[in-house]
Amino acid sequence: MTRRIRSQITRGSGELAILSLLAEQPLYGFEIARQIGERTNGALRFTLASLYPLLYEMEKRGWVEGRWQANEAGRDRRYYHLTSSGRKQLAPLRQEWRAFFQALDSLAGVSHA
Amino acid sequence: MPDWRERVRERLQATDAFSCREEVVEEIAIHLIEVYDAARASGLPEAQAVEVTLQEVGDWHDLARKISHAKSREQSVNYRTRSFWLPTLITLSGASFSLLVIQSMGIEPHLVWIDLRHLVSPPSVLYGRINMTFYWPWLASLPFFGALGAYLSGRSHASTRSRLVTGLSPALIMLVVMCVILPIALAIDGFSLFRLAVFGVWGLMNWVAIPAIALLLGTLPWLHRSDAARA
Repeated sequence: MTRRIRSQITRGSGELAILSLLAEQPLYGFEIARQIGERTNGALRFTLASLYPLLYEMEKRGWVEGRWQANEAGRDRRYYHLTSSGRKQLAPLRQEWRAFFQALDSLAGVSHA
Repeated sequence: MPDWRERVRERLQATDAFSCREEVVEEIAIHLIEVYDAARASGLPEAQAVEVTLQEVGDWHDLARKISHAKSREQSVNYRTRSFWLPTLITLSGASFSLLVIQSMGIEPHLVWIDLRHLVSPPSVLYGRINMTFYWPWLASLPFFGALGAYLSGRSHASTRSRLVTGLSPALIMLVVMCVILPIALAIDGFSLFRLAVFGVWGLMNWVAIPAIALLLGTLPWLHRSDAARA
């Protein structure tokens, strides 16, 4: 697998993971990274260096919107909210990934389930 | 604990690639603080916790380049609008509208005459006295508008300087207006150093310095947001 393809897969999976999480509730950067790591048992892991460029890129596209808010402890955090445009991206992205895993499954017996 | 904000600011701004705003520095620093706190809470000694935290970043130059790329010019303009231009416009409009309302209510300014005749040689009847104009109700409203501007600017995590300029914007605009009007007025009336001093001091005191003090009273509490609330 070339580096470019690997990078695109990583990026695409990151976008789907972030959009899916934010569809449940607004979260700030550290919490997004923590929840992705926890809920995938560490299979997907975001460092600061991989998370923020992606978040800013998604914000530029209008999929998410960052707003400074205080968390439960009264500390300011930049919470990312899913926009209506981001919500519209979710279904096609899920469909693309489903098709991708089905294709891999039929080819190499790799199931996503 | 290391000063993560300072460290992030230094490291990112040391790279040529970085062209982003304080808001980004703040967000990255907060993330590092969270990682560091989690590492410490898991029982790591300080040196190791710092090491684990810095591993989150890896190459600072690469991070700065990626963030700068992700934050396009459009994004940067949006940020400037949100953190500076919009709060400034609101502050300025509020202060102007407040003066308009007070004047339309027929409230007269309080005039305090200052006798300068003993300073003038030869004594001049025309320029011997200047008045200080105090619109007390308007001046009383200015701390609120100063606070509003600095708060709105601070809410977008603008720098301290931006918050200060936003809070003082009505007085700063008057300063600019004075700088334009004064030479024109002197050109029309005929230049004299005494006239320049009297009109300049009169204008600066009445419309710049006194309103600026009132605005500053409201702005000051919003200049330094507590680090405790941010981290």
